[in-house]
Amino acid sequence: MVGTSMHRILKGGSTALLAVGLSATPAGAQGASTAAAKPAAAQPSKALGSISAPITMEVFSDFQCPSCRELYQNTLRAVIANYVLPGKVYLVHRDMPLAMHPYAREAARYANAAAHVGKFEQVVDVLYATQAAWSASGKIEEAVAAALTPKEMQRVRKLVKSGKVDAAIDKDVSIGQMFQVRSTPTVIITHKGQTTPLPPGGVNYSLLKQYLDHLLRQ
Amino acid sequence: MSPVKFSSGRAVLLLTRCALGGVFLYAAWTKLSQPWALFAMSINAYQLLPEWSVTLLARTLPWAELALGALLIAGWALRMAATIASILLAGFFAVMLRSFLAGNTGIDCGCFGVGEALSGQTLLRDAALGMLSFGLTLAAFRENKNRADAPAAQPAAFAAGEAGETAK
Repeated sequence: MVGTSMHRILKGGSTALLAVGLSATPAGAQGASTAAAKPAAAQPSKALGSISAPITMEVFSDFQCPSCRELYQNTLRAVIANYVLPGKVYLVHRDMPLAMHPYAREAARYANAAAHVGKFEQVVDVLYATQAAWSASGKIEEAVAAALTPKEMQRVRKLVKSGKVDAAIDKDVSIGQMFQVRSTPTVIITHKGQTTPLPPGGVNYSLLKQYLDHLLRQ
Repeated sequence: MSPVKFSSGRAVLLLTRCALGGVFLYAAWTKLSQPWALFAMSINAYQLLPEWSVTLLARTLPWAELALGALLIAGWALRMAATIASILLAGFFAVMLRSFLAGNTGIDCGCFGVGEALSGQTLLRDAALGMLSFGLTLAAFRENKNRADAPAAQPAAFAAGEAGETAK
């Protein structure tokens, strides 16, 4: 697991932080809790749960990253069932396609387009479930089609081709830069105006549960 | 009671004790001021321990660091405290180096709470602290040996003095 557990942000073949020193977090304090920070407005169709939930959880992911799949399948699904649906957590998906993954942006385009037809969650589910296959073949459309009706697929295809969904992806990427996200998946928790990025690579359901329960007790 | 000699060696020892103790107190404070689950996630990122021991370590290590820091600054049980600090820092260094060499640099160092990435800089800092602690351990043992030797030397000197007088 060590060495493959996370995907660092690569730029020109070398590890690099995308951007530093933007206003929402103090410079050089990637992981420090930041008081009075507010999560940037999410595209509602890319978020799950009640916006008035006491905790907001932003997850920066790359659909082609294996540890993002692992986090989604082993941790986020349980979070959705136990915290999002009961109204305790507002879960926001943020796209962070990495340059090292050739199909990550295209997959993000399909997921964002699916959000426009109200099928974001289903498409995310299928993208992660079939990640190994489309990562090898590049046939993302085939994978996505399994989760949509032909009519929905037609709309999604049109949106992807129009390039309209790229703005939403770029917005997420710039939010990630603001938080100095250095790898995927990165989870950022906002509770009572306090923003805390969780230690990269160390999040699992049982520890996350302990943390969320601690915040909810406050 | 004879006055305690304040040599430059003692001053260096005191400064080293306070510096190292301060680092341990700060490390403990940064962890204890956050929910333990956050530190547990930092430990878990190293992918070395089963979950039960991650939890145990996250709950106990900050308190151990607090106690070590206090002992080092106070100078109580110095040999034991300095030895434990050296072993601890060597352990941290080994774990960090292993992850660093495996290319797992996206994770948190976990040294001073959440948010500091594992890097060459954090490794160098840990190595420097380890050497400082090792030096302190050696000095603490040496000072103890000197103290132990001193009472034995005194009666011998008295005896020599008496013998000298008798010879006159």
